Amino acid sequence: MQTNSARPAIEVRDLVVGNGDVTAVRGVSFTIPQGGRMGLVGESGSGKSMTALALMGLLPMGWSTRGSILHDGVDLVTQSDRALSSRRGRTLSMVFQDPLSSLNPVRRVGDQISSVIRRHTGADKRTAEAQTVELMKQMNLPRAEQLVRAYPHEISGGQRQRIMIAMALACYPQLIIADEPTTALDVTVQKQVLRLLNGAVRDRGSALLMITHDLPIIAAMCDTVAVMYAGRIVEIGPVQEVFRNPRHHYTRGLLDSQPTMDNIALDGSSRLVSIPGMVPPLHALPTGCAFNPRCPAATDKCREQMPELGAEALRAACWHPLAKVGEVAAQ
Amino acid sequence: MAIYALRKLAFFLGAVFVASLAIFLLIRGAGGNVAAIVLGKDATADAINALAHTYGLDRPLPVQYFDWIVNMLHGDLGQSFRTKESVADLVTARLSVSIPLALSGLILGLIIAIPVGTYAARNVGKPSGAVLALISQIGIAVPVFWAGILLSVLFGVKLGWLPTGGWIDWDESPVGAIRSLVLPVLSLGLIMAAVLIRYVRSAVLDVMNQDYVRTARAVGMTRTQALLQVGLRNAALPIVTIVGLQIAELIGGTVIIEMVFSLPGLSRMILANVAAREVIVVQSTVMLIIVFVIFVNFVVDLLYGVLDPRIRNAA
Amino acid sequence: MTDIAATAPIAPKKRRRLSLNATLVVGIVLTIGFLVVALVSFFWLPSNPNIPVIKNRMLPPFLPDHWLGTDGLGRDIVAQLMVGARTSILVGAGGATVSLILGTITGLIAAAYGKLADETISRGADIMLSIPGMVTALVLAATMGSGALTTIFALTAFFTPSFTRVIRSAAMSVLQEDFITSAKLYGRGKLFILARHVIPNIAGVMIVQFTLYFAAGILTEAGLSYLGVGVTRPSISWGMMLNEAQQTVGISSPLAIWPGLAIVLVVLGLNLLGDGLRDVLDPKLKRRS
Repeated sequence: MQTNSARPAIEVRDLVVGNGDVTAVRGVSFTIPQGGRMGLVGESGSGKSMTALALMGLLPMGWSTRGSILHDGVDLVTQSDRALSSRRGRTLSMVFQDPLSSLNPVRRVGDQISSVIRRHTGADKRTAEAQTVELMKQMNLPRAEQLVRAYPHEISGGQRQRIMIAMALACYPQLIIADEPTTALDVTVQKQVLRLLNGAVRDRGSALLMITHDLPIIAAMCDTVAVMYAGRIVEIGPVQEVFRNPRHHYTRGLLDSQPTMDNIALDGSSRLVSIPGMVPPLHALPTGCAFNPRCPAATDKCREQMPELGAEALRAACWHPLAKVGEVAAQ
Repeated sequence: MAIYALRKLAFFLGAVFVASLAIFLLIRGAGGNVAAIVLGKDATADAINALAHTYGLDRPLPVQYFDWIVNMLHGDLGQSFRTKESVADLVTARLSVSIPLALSGLILGLIIAIPVGTYAARNVGKPSGAVLALISQIGIAVPVFWAGILLSVLFGVKLGWLPTGGWIDWDESPVGAIRSLVLPVLSLGLIMAAVLIRYVRSAVLDVMNQDYVRTARAVGMTRTQALLQVGLRNAALPIVTIVGLQIAELIGGTVIIEMVFSLPGLSRMILANVAAREVIVVQSTVMLIIVFVIFVNFVVDLLYGVLDPRIRNAA
Repeated sequence: MTDIAATAPIAPKKRRRLSLNATLVVGIVLTIGFLVVALVSFFWLPSNPNIPVIKNRMLPPFLPDHWLGTDGLGRDIVAQLMVGARTSILVGAGGATVSLILGTITGLIAAAYGKLADETISRGADIMLSIPGMVTALVLAATMGSGALTTIFALTAFFTPSFTRVIRSAAMSVLQEDFITSAKLYGRGKLFILARHVIPNIAGVMIVQFTLYFAAGILTEAGLSYLGVGVTRPSISWGMMLNEAQQTVGISSPLAIWPGLAIVLVVLGLNLLGDGLRDVLDPKLKRRS
């Protein structure tokens, strides 16, 4: 299929994901251009992982999708599992959170990678194995020739995640979704793995959808960020803009609750703020803006009407946005 | 793998030793004077002593135990007090019935349980899955001998397709032998299947929810491919364990089924010798069966090591 | 990952709670019916189940005096079934109770008293589990003579290692909880902790295990009595009735139906009860189904 450079890597329109009883994603739209990098942030239960799984067509049993997901000239929502399976790992792929549980425990890691290559390129066994070793070297895996014969439990967490990334990147996908790819790793290894992922994605010219609750990672790796709350995107825009001048009170709260060298005072007078209250359960969402019970600026309007995202590049779904573009956020 | 295998071998030998000691003590220790048991209530003290002396039953127990073990290791399982037949001959003659019965029963059970259990796991929450779960629950509650009775009423008495019992030897007519085994194997296999379906179902359910099955799909497998190629391979581990544990059940079921269908297998021989108070025959035959079961468990352990690299390396 | 865990199971849960209730209710109804029948048999029986009445031989079922007919010696089927229920409870519950006591003691020792005790008990349980129960029972019958007591003894030898294993692992997971650590910090002794903290917390597991092995005991007893090495008259067992039916009148008579049906209903009831209780009492053991 011919790649049209004008065509985005993925275009999501009014995505709704639910299982009949609850709706985890309630109308999400975003576009990632070819080679673009978008970060998706939000607390646990905000719907970010469900969004990712919906894009991949990997929702758990009983869950279904509405809306449209345009990718590589087709609407993924309408595709069968068989049609989707021929795309997964080839034009779009995903790196999961826990590399130990995500790799098949009874298969050698090299076989797991080379089977992906063989499945999608039809390469013969020896070619695929050679490519696997080459790929593992690119992932900075030591002694790749020997490591192909290792089982997942025999290698370190960081190495496992590199294997996972190698599998996801093996076929040069147009879009890579990374769902908290370093959360399960040691802090010291996290940075190496992220750097590797960053470089490998760039080398391939793939687009990236990075899901995390770690804002500095987004700042370092992405050009766009979308903030999710209770199944909706509440703010979306260029990373620098959103992080410097958040417009949604939830984004503000998220930024304030990040520990940084600035707000961790060594004398113990830290002013680490947390957002009061808890994420509402999906089956008991408040009316109006879902954030209103926790929002310092909530008014009756917020309790009655749901705010929508605007049409500009920098948008927040809020009736009382914090700062206008260009203004400096009040400290 | 070598260390793992050696550890399992040590456990196998230890288990055989403990089991042999238990059987010996149970029969010789708890049972009292073997010679008196064999000769019955009316025997004179002289006759009892004479028999005891002939078979060395008046020696100290540790000596007798040691003797028994050494003889068994040489292939001498002892002999019947009355008919003087050697236990080895008695057992061998019965194996051509018991082994095909037990083995086919197990294989039939697995052939039914693996696809049905997998199907039930894939249809959890749907009516078809619930119906299968219920059928398996009921099947577990059916005593194997009653299943045998019902099947022989249906296919033997009412339809007249197959013999309701009895045995035609392989030498005489292989077809006849197979015909006499069909209903026993069916009874045994169906009841084994009912138990195994539950285990297969829960093993597959467990595996289906694993992250690595999702990964398999994320790199290009369909739901069904991921289940069959990745899921079943991993579900094989718990299933193999269960099969190992079910061997004891299988032997128990075979014992009963041989009675239902009047098959001249090992268990009928044991029962007859229990009734005839042939202590040595019972002791050695039971020991053989137990060694066999422990050996199967040993093989299952080794198989587990082959199937699961984590276990192999952990040892 | 976290998102799925938080949201995914909501719908299936509802559906399962319904079927779980059905499991429990059917289990309770069948089990209570079984216990009531056994209880009634102590006060009232249609007729003496052990005295042959030649003129009443082989009566068909559904007669006013003999609801399910009589056997080849003219003994009433209903009366025999009622006394058989008694035997099932005596042997099944007897075997399960003794196994529960022994299994709890050994399991707790293995869990709480060091690696050596654990290794010894666990390996011993493994060995005992690999010995076929039916064969053990035959050996016991050969040496001790058959009867209810021998059968209970055989069941105990057969079941105890399973109880040991289950109770050991349940106790171990309780012993790792934080409140045990704090109890230890308060200077509580091991026995006190086991009695006050561990046993109450594994009571659910114990009850479930007891129920399931009660059922297994009834099945095994029926099998042994069918082989003629279980209970003997004047005690009556459902397995024995099936054996007699097959020996005396041929398997195609209705005599071969009733005792088998009784076994299936009772064992099914206890198994459903056990499964239902497991879901209610022990959320940790819940399957994702």
